[in-house]
Amino acid sequence: MTSDQDTFIADAVEKALAGDMDAINSIEDRSIRGKAKAALVKAKRAAKAEQKSESSEESQGGGTPEEKVVQSSLSALLSSVYPDEIIEILNEGKVVQLKPQKWNEIATFFRDHADALLDQLECLTGVDLGTEEPLQVRYNLHSMKHRHKIEILINADRVKPEIPTVETIWRMADWFEREVYDMYGIVFTDHRDLRRLLCPEDWEGWPLRKDYEEQESYHGIVVPKVKEGWE
Amino acid sequence: MGLLEHKFQDNVVVASMDKLLGWARSTSPWFFQFGLACCAIEMMATAASRHDLMRIGMIPRSSPRQADVMIVAGTVTMKMALRVKKLYEQMADPKYVISMGSCATSGGPYWQYGYHVLKGVDLVVPVDVYVPGCPPRPEALIEGLLKLQEKIQAERPLTKKIA
Repeated sequence: MTSDQDTFIADAVEKALAGDMDAINSIEDRSIRGKAKAALVKAKRAAKAEQKSESSEESQGGGTPEEKVVQSSLSALLSSVYPDEIIEILNEGKVVQLKPQKWNEIATFFRDHADALLDQLECLTGVDLGTEEPLQVRYNLHSMKHRHKIEILINADRVKPEIPTVETIWRMADWFEREVYDMYGIVFTDHRDLRRLLCPEDWEGWPLRKDYEEQESYHGIVVPKVKEGWE
Repeated sequence: MGLLEHKFQDNVVVASMDKLLGWARSTSPWFFQFGLACCAIEMMATAASRHDLMRIGMIPRSSPRQADVMIVAGTVTMKMALRVKKLYEQMADPKYVISMGSCATSGGPYWQYGYHVLKGVDLVVPVDVYVPGCPPRPEALIEGLLKLQEKIQAERPLTKKIA
């Protein structure tokens, strides 16, 4: 390629970037026109990448500024309406620990309030923190409209674990709660169909608790406990 | 019959009834597909065109009543163990069981901490052939099936047992 052509193409690209696409489209030689178009795409891409790097420099320090505002506003909303129900706000307002008593009411509020609209229960997990600690249930909520998230923790007593169900609020919770009941024995009060999900219905004990012990036999089938020399 | 056609007079084959029965049984052991975990994929591969179980007379059946061999392929949980037993009982005699893979044979990786895994399918049903592997390759399963065929062939169902 001659330097003459180079300057010609560079000229055309500059004009096109300024908004005059005719400068390229009117080139008669097909090969030169093609080269000019390729150069134009390249130039546009470079401009975009530059813009992006600038904007990412501005928002360093976790998430876009917009997201941060929403995160803190969710827990702020909760603490303004139900100040007595909150035990602790953790992780810059992303995680909130609640008392179990009014959980059903709070869940409905969270789902329906215009500033929250947490219409999706992403996950519901049971946690056993250790034999001396209480059991815990964690709810991950997400809003399709506002695109914000919050995590709720609720502790349950180890001896008589009871938490109000949210199965009627998010239908998603139905099997989630059944699984948590199956594995940890946490009773979700007022759940309409609280049966074991994975284990057989006549299984004994709660397998994912730290103090779980296997049963000796199941319907006459031996469960060998001492594994050495049992062959 | 090609080569042999119209080459013989009327003729008779002499064989012992036991051997004849053994030959008939061993060359068409239809199997009950019992895919419970990843071993099932290998079992399917064995039955599919590359390894082609049909050539040793085996056809997969979905009903225990049409099957002679049950291939237990995969992890048997306690919940499933009761069903395995029930389905085995519904098979017609003579019936055979192949325990395919580590899980079905001994609980496999769930031996130590799997609280709900049956430690070997032989705790609920009698097993004829164990195929080791995790999961066994199709060749290994075919080897097991040929061993089972040998076993069926050697049976003498009509001969009186001497106590």
